[in-house]
Amino acid sequence: MTPTDIPAPSIAYGPLWPMIAVFLAAAIGVLVEAFVPARRRRPVHLVVALAGLTGGLVAVALVARNHHHPTLIAERAVAVDGPTLFIQGTLLLLGIAAVLLLGERSLDSTGGTFVAAAAVVPGSRGERQLTASSTMQTEVFPLAMFALGGMLLFPASNNLLLMFVALEILSLPLYLLAGLARRRRLLSQEAAVKYFLLGAFSSAFFLYGIAMLYGYAGSVDLGAIFTATGTVGSNDTLLYLGIALLSVGLLFKIGAAPFQNWTPDVYQGSPTPVTALMASGTKVAAFGALLRVFYVAFGPVRWDWRPLMWGVAILTMGVGAVLAITQTDVKRMLAYSSIAHAGFILTGVVALNRSGLSGSLFYLLAYGFSTLGAFAIVTLVRDADGEATHLSQWRGLGRRSPALAGIFALFLLAFAGIPLTSGFTSKFAVFSAAISSGATGLVVVGLIASAVAAFFYVRVIVLMFFEAPAPDGPTIAVPSVLTYGAIALAFAVTVVLGVIPGPLFTLADKAALFVR
Amino acid sequence: MTQAVLAEPAPLPLPDFGSEPWWLIIIKVLFVFVFLLVLTLLTIWGERRVVARMQQRLGPNRTGPFGVLQGLADGLKLAFKEDIIPAMADRPVYLLAPIVSTIPAFLAFSVIPFGPTVSIFGHRTALQLTDLPVGVLFILAMSSLGVYGIVLAGWASGSTYPLLGSLRSAAQMISYEVSMGLALVAVFLYAGSLSTSQIVDAQRSRWFIIAVPISFVIYGISCVGETNRAPFDLPEAESELVGGFHTEYSSLKFAMFFLAEYINMITVSAVATTLFLGGWRAPWPLSLFSWANAGWLPMLWFVAKLCIFLFIFIWLRGTMPRLRYDQFMHLGWKVLVPGALVWLLLVATARALSFRDFLLYAGVPAAVVLLAWAFWPTGGRQDRPPPPVERGTPPRYPVPQLDAEPLRRSAGKEVTRA
Amino acid sequence: MSTVTTATATATATVLAASPQTSVSEAVVFWIVAPVAIAAALAMVFSRHAVHAALLLVVDFFCLAVLYAAQDAPFLAAVQVIVYTGAIMILFLFVLMLVGVDSSDSLVETLRGQRVAAAALALGFVVLLIGAIGSATLQMPSQGLAAANAEGNVIGIARLLFTRYVFAFEATSALLITAALGAMVLAHKEQVVPRVSQREMSRRRFAGAHPTPYPSPGVFARHDAVDTPALLPDGTAAEPRPPVLEGSSNQAGRAGDPAGPGATGSGS
Repeated sequence: MTPTDIPAPSIAYGPLWPMIAVFLAAAIGVLVEAFVPARRRRPVHLVVALAGLTGGLVAVALVARNHHHPTLIAERAVAVDGPTLFIQGTLLLLGIAAVLLLGERSLDSTGGTFVAAAAVVPGSRGERQLTASSTMQTEVFPLAMFALGGMLLFPASNNLLLMFVALEILSLPLYLLAGLARRRRLLSQEAAVKYFLLGAFSSAFFLYGIAMLYGYAGSVDLGAIFTATGTVGSNDTLLYLGIALLSVGLLFKIGAAPFQNWTPDVYQGSPTPVTALMASGTKVAAFGALLRVFYVAFGPVRWDWRPLMWGVAILTMGVGAVLAITQTDVKRMLAYSSIAHAGFILTGVVALNRSGLSGSLFYLLAYGFSTLGAFAIVTLVRDADGEATHLSQWRGLGRRSPALAGIFALFLLAFAGIPLTSGFTSKFAVFSAAISSGATGLVVVGLIASAVAAFFYVRVIVLMFFEAPAPDGPTIAVPSVLTYGAIALAFAVTVVLGVIPGPLFTLADKAALFVR
Repeated sequence: MTQAVLAEPAPLPLPDFGSEPWWLIIIKVLFVFVFLLVLTLLTIWGERRVVARMQQRLGPNRTGPFGVLQGLADGLKLAFKEDIIPAMADRPVYLLAPIVSTIPAFLAFSVIPFGPTVSIFGHRTALQLTDLPVGVLFILAMSSLGVYGIVLAGWASGSTYPLLGSLRSAAQMISYEVSMGLALVAVFLYAGSLSTSQIVDAQRSRWFIIAVPISFVIYGISCVGETNRAPFDLPEAESELVGGFHTEYSSLKFAMFFLAEYINMITVSAVATTLFLGGWRAPWPLSLFSWANAGWLPMLWFVAKLCIFLFIFIWLRGTMPRLRYDQFMHLGWKVLVPGALVWLLLVATARALSFRDFLLYAGVPAAVVLLAWAFWPTGGRQDRPPPPVERGTPPRYPVPQLDAEPLRRSAGKEVTRA
Repeated sequence: MSTVTTATATATATVLAASPQTSVSEAVVFWIVAPVAIAAALAMVFSRHAVHAALLLVVDFFCLAVLYAAQDAPFLAAVQVIVYTGAIMILFLFVLMLVGVDSSDSLVETLRGQRVAAAALALGFVVLLIGAIGSATLQMPSQGLAAANAEGNVIGIARLLFTRYVFAFEATSALLITAALGAMVLAHKEQVVPRVSQREMSRRRFAGAHPTPYPSPGVFARHDAVDTPALLPDGTAAEPRPPVLEGSSNQAGRAGDPAGPGATGSGS
């Protein structure tokens, strides 16, 4: 009766536990949504999510201790190697901080940064009723956990099919989360739609690229593509087309230059905790995947794609740095700054050597925490309409709240790459790697862009500390321990990596070896 | 079960399709076409007779012996009626809709096996138009294409009631396709194939109605919803939507919708027969004899089983009141789909543990429970005694008094008050 | 049509497997279906009417399904029809019909010149793709359909899905849960106030000042038909319906009335 027996593949589930823990927490979150009464959902969600992330972190540590030899598991679909574990660890730490921000609800007198009911039309009578209530759409927790799970899987996938699935897993919840802001809902919904449409478009490019590469190599396995690039006489047109289209999808996710248009709008419109998650987590995960694809599969044809990446990196740094100067909104400014940083990290990708990889890994961790901390502080500066994000409202903030403004200034200095902050060390790392691989021109452009960028970071610092505060300026909300925790974590990482970067450098260097 | 049956070779999957002579294929196509048309006419007649009997009437009995030609007469009448296209209609879509609904209905029947291998003019062939490795999926695909006919008809008519009917129908058919598909998965698990001929072959020793009874129940309920038949005929509920999606259709176009509905009914009955009642295989005591499952005779079993299902359809229409739309969706999404999922989980577990008889003994009572649950009158509130009439305070609403005498006097008073 | 093509497709499986060339029947199917598919796709892009565009997309999907079947992938063909044509596009149509998109489509361009730029870029991309794919000669060793379908198409797919791509298959569940959750977030409203039952509604209505239905929009009437006299054909007021007694008990009258209260109550 059973015509064929398909033997079940044996999957070593052990090294998958970082992801399983997060997905499990997400699934439990869905059950919480179904069975826990509405009033008690938020704390339960927080506990579940944090437990899942912590569990994932423990699992990463255990895997790193027990698996000294990088391996490919689950039928060569998942790569367990240094970069995977390093990025997963980074993401889980960032995830913990982001979930703390998501759970905050003492900032807004009406409860949190998330909408009470997303299905209610903005401006309707039902909405006014709900805004006054303290309910919130608690589904954000499982959604964020699913996004984090996808982020963990994205840089770990060793075949393009799984990578695409992971890309969708991480994107879909973010599209939703972007539209769930409590204040300025139309702006938030617009951001969600823009992100969704452009994201779907870029996914299509990614998929098309996979098809081309499959046509070229006859497989979607990164190792097989590598092998195919080594053989002479194959059909290179498909390869180039595949690389180009695949890059479009990946560069979109990191917000690199020709595909950066969505970044400011989406960062501005989304609820700020979600922006923090996107700016840190998505960037880290997408760079992880980009590094894996280019280092593992496309290494042999580096002379074909490196000029293109040069161009993209230069354009990204330029666009990010120059456009950031013209911004008057803090969130938009941070968005352009994140574009510029994507360009800086791309120099590490272009370097294509071990120090380039380790430098990129270090950069990702350092930048992820700085940007998360910066957005966390943005949530605290508020007036009656919610967050006060216009730069003019930040005038003189340093006089009112020196500690907060000081921490924000530190993050800005880290973005600018001032010594004794993590930003300096990480920029130094990627630039020196780029020089060692002969990309000196790129580094020169990078330095100029850094200088331009430093201008607008310093301008904000001047604005905060050396100008008189506006009389009807925003107040600094007093958050609960959750936001404090997130800011403290980001602050600590930024300072420690600036002062004693050595241990993490060693770790990143040890991790910087892809399995093929 | 018996030596003879087991000895009968059933090549898997039937290999000789495509290599048959063209005349044989044409004969089969024609046969399926004519079979469906004739059966439709008979079903229309049968439905009217049976429902009439259930309502203590006679039903059509003038046209031909026992009125059996009534369906034909109706069809001819429809064909000669005036064909009206509403001014607001979207012409191309309006014209396309009846065709879209009829063609898939016919196509779905092409993978239904009517009988075993027989000899036609010296050529040995299976009594089946074609056999696909994904036969059942093909049927599902065709039924999902059929939805378009209804949806487009409603929309293209440019009228409100048809639009509402078509929206209902779209929601209804998609919802019930889910539970229908889920119910069939258990059959696939047992048969190890999606091909109709192999599924029939897998029921040599035991029909799947016994092996997976709950699947049968769920399929039975959802196929009534899928075919828009009473008590689930909400897209064409005449008390709410006039005629539903086909309100604006007349003449032959209406006839095509009518035809499609009955062919769909026949198709789901044939699928139920094939998947759960052993297809053309003879019922139990007869199946002990080898002659019962060979030659042309199995076609009789097939048609007989088909007619039982058709009778049930008619019976349902004659006895069941129509559901309210929310109750209907509740049944589909909150009872049938979860039920099918849980059942599927059980079946898969049992299959994985090779513990089949558990399902047999647990499944039959469970099927009964599920049926009882599905049709249990919901909401006990109706059973409560009506609240006592509050005396003393007269109701503010003017309740008409129908006595002849004292009315005149108070009439003027009441009107002036209002 | 599709039955015949799928049937012939399965029939030509052996032919296909034997030679690397495209078989005649497959070529015939291709040259019939492919132009239809492309024409439908183009027409879909240029169609002004949302529902027509959706329908043309359906045609396109169906053509794809036929092509899959012709290439000896019946499972894919069936799934294509069931999932895309049968479920997704029906939902599309559902929304289009419900919203009625054709009513107020604004065709004003907010970004000047974007249409020209988009057209130019799209054309460039198409030229690039055609050039690249056209110049590509597929020389890699292909296994051929015979090897892929050795155990049958369904089993071949199952084998791939449950061995090599099993983790992607498992990971998809996260995607599906997310999608379901997202649909809930966007569409589900928590019931804040308890739902008003039919009984409660009728109670309120009859306890209120206006138990009868309000006149339809556009009807200028101060009273509803229940308490205003109807007009006879000659324009005079008709005999009023048996009217009402305020405050008097009418239990006795109801019992003896042959017509029952429903006769007058039908107006409400």
